Amino acid sequence: MTLSTSATADHIYANGLRNQWHAVVPSRFVAPGGMRKVTALGEQWLLFRRSDGTLAMLADRCPHRGAPLSLGKHLGDRVACWYHGVEVETDGTVSSVPGLPGCNLEGKKLVTSLPVREVSGAILAWFGDEEHPEPAELTLPDPLTDPEADAFLCYAEWDVPWRFAMENLLDPMHGAFLHHDSHTMFDGDTTAKFRIRETDRGYFFEKTDQRGVNFDWVELCRTGVDWVDLSIPYPPSAGPGGPFGIVGMACPVDAGRTGVFFWRYRRVQGWQRDAWRFLYKTLIEKRHWDVLEQDRVMLEAMPADADQRENLYQHDLGVVRLRRLYRTAAEAQSA
Amino acid sequence: MTDPVNGAWPYLDVHQSRTHEPTPYEYKLAATLEEVFTHEGHELADVVRGLNARQVHAADGAPWTEESFRAEMNRLGA
Repeated sequence: MTLSTSATADHIYANGLRNQWHAVVPSRFVAPGGMRKVTALGEQWLLFRRSDGTLAMLADRCPHRGAPLSLGKHLGDRVACWYHGVEVETDGTVSSVPGLPGCNLEGKKLVTSLPVREVSGAILAWFGDEEHPEPAELTLPDPLTDPEADAFLCYAEWDVPWRFAMENLLDPMHGAFLHHDSHTMFDGDTTAKFRIRETDRGYFFEKTDQRGVNFDWVELCRTGVDWVDLSIPYPPSAGPGGPFGIVGMACPVDAGRTGVFFWRYRRVQGWQRDAWRFLYKTLIEKRHWDVLEQDRVMLEAMPADADQRENLYQHDLGVVRLRRLYRTAAEAQSA
Repeated sequence: MTDPVNGAWPYLDVHQSRTHEPTPYEYKLAATLEEVFTHEGHELADVVRGLNARQVHAADGAPWTEESFRAEMNRLGA
């Protein structure tokens, strides 16, 4: 059984919130006709893609003796467990028990199958617990559906708790320090006042006295999937089209690991779009990566109890609010 | 680089948007384009003039026109 309702609030807070969508891995990680084992929310899953591209996500556990289905064989529209050949369809139904035809496992839906969607190159899955198997409405990040915007996905795997990765995004002030030696965040004041501004889908955490200079604001959006939106100016060398934005998501892999998804997007069209894409692939992607590595190095070096022994100040209001929100949700889900 | 299909944790790949390692021509064009954007501006006419003034021409050696530049960006930015 997966994602039980009996998990403690501490476990959920550490391993990821249920009853919402999460990005899992990039779509290209699962080839047509292929399978991939993934860990998410502290549990083992199998991504399974038919040759026509249809994707399914199953608990990586044979309903017979618990062997990992990911060690099994891809049979086109189902997977056969390597241990005893038990065959499981993409909706989790046992279609065949070769060792004992007619066995009462056949025809039963015994494996958890998560609803999946593919969005701008990423696989999103609904992680409902036992009481919430049906997915809630998912509203996709508007920069990823805006025909005026163009995006590249960057995915990376970090040895940090998912909360630290999200908190880092709700902490814009680190841009002026950690990323001072970067191609985009060298400018602007190193002092600031911040405010929280509520929206109907989350909240903004923003500087009150500077905009469009550094990483000056961030919006947390809870639209069935949790994501952030932010904007960072490009230097003139990046050509026409103004700042680039980031849609960020974090996949809680387990208590100590996170998959981070950053879509760098720009509202740019025609030759300007083409020139940005060319520069991005040739020169800019590497510079963006170097900035992301600064985050990874810092966050991976943070002690595990970093959030237990702190002395916070006004710049941390966005983080404090995020924690309260997630902690409350974890407690509600463990009830 | 980690194999994206079977790769072990962690996946850390600098280049995820490329289909190939850029050619010397592509590197030179990109670097010059950045210089032109910085010093000449962002208008198409300025960009074409800036590239030609620096003798950084199309792959066939011909000076850029607005039309040939658009077509090449479209090819390289696909």
